[in-house]
Amino acid sequence: MQGDEPVPPEVVNAVFHGVSVSDAAAILVVERVGGTARVTWSNGRAVDFLGYGLEDLRSAPFEQLLPSLGRSELKLLLRRERAVRMTLPVRLASGATLECIVSAVPAPVGRRWTVRLISTANEQERALRATADAHERRFSTLTERSPVPTLLSEQGMRLAHVNDAFCALVGRQAEQLLGTGWMTTVHPDDLDTVIEQAAVVLDGGEGEAQARLVREDGAVRTTVIRFSHLFTPGVGAGFVGTIEDITERLAFEARLAHQANHDPLTGLPNRTLLAEYVAARFLPGHSDLACIFLDLDNFKVVNDSLGHAAGDELLVELAARLRETVRPGDLVARFGGDEFVVVCEHVDEADAVALAERVGEALRQPVRLGGVDFRPAASVGVTVQTPEHAAAEELVRDCDIAMYQAKAGGKNRITVLDQDARAQARDKLRLVADLRDAIERRDVTLMYQPIFDTVEGTAVSVESLARWVHPERGPISPATFVPLAEESGLVGGLGLLVLDETCRQLAAWDAQLGPAAPERANVNVSALQLDPNLPGQVASALHRHDLLPARLSIELTESALMTDPAAAREVLLQLRDLGVQVSIDDFGTGYSSLAYLRHLPVDCLKVDRSFVAELADGHSEITSAVIALARNLGLCTVAEGVETLEQAQQLAELGATFLQGFGLAAPLDGASTGDWFAAQHDSLDPAGPALPSRPATAATPARPATPATPTPEPT
Amino acid sequence: MTASLAAAPTFDLERVLASIDRMAAQRPVAAQIVSVANSDEASAKELSRILSADLALAGRVMKLSNSAFYGMRGRVSSLQFAVTVVGFTTVRTMATVALTDLDDESRLPGSFWDVSTSLALAASTLAPRFGQRSQDALCLGLLAQLGVALLFHNDPEGYAQLEAEAPTAAGRRLAEVHRYGISALRLTAVALEQWGFPAAMVAPLTAFDDLQSTEGALLRASFEIVHRMTVDGHEDVPMAELTLGRMTDREVLPILEQVRVDAVELRRALLED
Repeated sequence: MQGDEPVPPEVVNAVFHGVSVSDAAAILVVERVGGTARVTWSNGRAVDFLGYGLEDLRSAPFEQLLPSLGRSELKLLLRRERAVRMTLPVRLASGATLECIVSAVPAPVGRRWTVRLISTANEQERALRATADAHERRFSTLTERSPVPTLLSEQGMRLAHVNDAFCALVGRQAEQLLGTGWMTTVHPDDLDTVIEQAAVVLDGGEGEAQARLVREDGAVRTTVIRFSHLFTPGVGAGFVGTIEDITERLAFEARLAHQANHDPLTGLPNRTLLAEYVAARFLPGHSDLACIFLDLDNFKVVNDSLGHAAGDELLVELAARLRETVRPGDLVARFGGDEFVVVCEHVDEADAVALAERVGEALRQPVRLGGVDFRPAASVGVTVQTPEHAAAEELVRDCDIAMYQAKAGGKNRITVLDQDARAQARDKLRLVADLRDAIERRDVTLMYQPIFDTVEGTAVSVESLARWVHPERGPISPATFVPLAEESGLVGGLGLLVLDETCRQLAAWDAQLGPAAPERANVNVSALQLDPNLPGQVASALHRHDLLPARLSIELTESALMTDPAAAREVLLQLRDLGVQVSIDDFGTGYSSLAYLRHLPVDCLKVDRSFVAELADGHSEITSAVIALARNLGLCTVAEGVETLEQAQQLAELGATFLQGFGLAAPLDGASTGDWFAAQHDSLDPAGPALPSRPATAATPARPATPATPTPEPT
Repeated sequence: MTASLAAAPTFDLERVLASIDRMAAQRPVAAQIVSVANSDEASAKELSRILSADLALAGRVMKLSNSAFYGMRGRVSSLQFAVTVVGFTTVRTMATVALTDLDDESRLPGSFWDVSTSLALAASTLAPRFGQRSQDALCLGLLAQLGVALLFHNDPEGYAQLEAEAPTAAGRRLAEVHRYGISALRLTAVALEQWGFPAAMVAPLTAFDDLQSTEGALLRASFEIVHRMTVDGHEDVPMAELTLGRMTDREVLPILEQVRVDAVELRRALLED
């Protein structure tokens, strides 16, 4: 509208001309005369569009063009006060009808309307609709046949569409699921989460929910529903939900988790689960948690005599009894082979002991295994949490200690861990930790004890002896720390330290003393080191310090060699091939088979100090027998623990090759040993020293002051 | 009695139609919603902004969005989200209800909302079978009787009498044409078209009496279901006949039950403050 300002006639003419020749829209002018509306004018396009001749168009009532309008309804279209737009079928001259948008605009005065007809089915629209239909069809085909259960929400949680896969998943028909019907399939406990996530997605976010769907037949499927936002312009927001059935996957994961946490034989929780269980319930400072540790007595006997199947049967039976005996809520776990742990909450010591007694009683009932009645028994350790327990694992460890006390106390009994035992165990743990640090920092040092040649009467070699001075506890005896290292897996590191440090020291003496340096150093090797790695470790230590193999002698105890003589022989052969000497330490104290001894590639036997000590009492039988034996096998001998010159003399006469002992020379640190050997060298008669008659001569002038620290025993 | 159903000399269809325009001026917010709700540019944000100026209408939209019908269980706490949940067409429908005073039951035939909510639910439930959107069908059902309301507003006594004397649906439509020159259903179509409701909502009204048209089938079936529920002595028309074979009578029973249950809830959400 241009407002009230009159439009110049030339503009009116221009517009009229434009309309009359336009081929964009069919325009008619309709006039109501005497109650009948007739077409009084039309443009060319209208004539073409409708197919009537101009005269036919003008002569017929306008309503004939609009067959769907009843007579009185024409006024709905031809309104005087406003323009109206309707979608109506229009009758064409051919007799066909064509749906059109019919717009009628009333003229400002009089009873005339300009009517515009536009087919709704124009080409562009048809093309658009076809595309849209194709999209819709593709989408519905895609979801309909998709194996992925799919929901399509139209509004809120109301579904407009579910596919066959979803119907199959919940075992219902689509009609039951549309609208909010599908919500009844969601497990009531999960429905809130589902709605919450759907709400997030409807609001434009992203969401997924794990939800159980309840099938018509009552079966429950666990699923993940992933929602995507769906916006339709002019309509609003909905969502597409795709559902993944994870029931089988979860079951599989649960099985795996169960397997990881349970013992397959007895079905009991295993050590891993036990640790998690105790940790989850452990509150430092509280004292209502208790552990009962059970170790079957003589289980090995069952396994060895009746076979492993019978052993397994016994374990399964006892596991069942344990489960039946404990209180509801107590945990029974299989800790290891024949070890079980019961964890109880809200108990004091009396309760825990009472339960342990009940459990012990239940276990003692006879079991028939392979036709034999077997009466099981267990050593039982009980620990109740105390304020001293700082962590969950300490509780389990303490009841393990208590169980060992029960076992040590004579089996088939219950022991409650007392403070002393706990303190001892803790002390040992701390010492292990300190030893580990000491080895890492090379705080374990070496002392060297000279070894004398009975022929020359001079010291020719040394034995390396490990020494550990604890920063707080002072010197720790090798008799304490070597077994500790063996128990706690530190012996490998300790052995390597001794080997490397000895080689380093030999090289240092070579540099310092030249020909006066000790010819050889004896290094003790633990039974636990006697494995195929040993020759390589020895070789690399020698190589590292540029030493000939003959400079080392490896000392092994008799018992170490006899644990697995065949394997020991292999290792010894390799050592010998390397060119390293091998000695058997403490010879005569074990139960060596002489037959084995003959086959072992050994160079030297060390006569144990206990036999040497007997010389003073006039008993020289064993010493002389050992020396004779060695000589007959072509081996040299080292007599240990020589305290007096008399003993030295006697041993030389018996034919011992070498002598070692406090009476001749005490162990010294590396530097002092160097000085000692230098002094010995300087004092030697160029013509050569005297023989056994004066071993002390060689030792005495050169013997430095006794070390301030107590002498370590050989490692 | 036929004589009394003669065209009312005082009834002027043009005046009724003009009244639709006047209504817009009285409820500008509702009118604005009606005019913009289904445009492609409409957004929940924009609609909720407009809606917030009409507290009564906004409150109803909130209430409806949290009703069991949409299954959101009270999780809708913002007006914008409420608009998203119920959908633009529903917001527009509710605006239309407000605009045309359909929420004033004192000015309507007694059964008006029972019929309308049942019709809406029947149409919404059946829509998927007819390839229609449930939401559009719901709105169509709610507004299908708009023509009845307009006629009643303008001629309360006359329409009440007409209703009493022509209990069957077909008979009533004939009586409406006879008295007013247009059936109530047709009047609804004209009003909705005038307000620019989508063709998908207008076409079923226009095609209602053409039993060969598929477009009118859903609404015909829905009306039949409501009549079976509400009209005593209603003579069932076979569903297959009304729906060009898309539905049979056997499918009706479970739908009747569902509609009965939901209608109460929907009515409460739509009308009660």
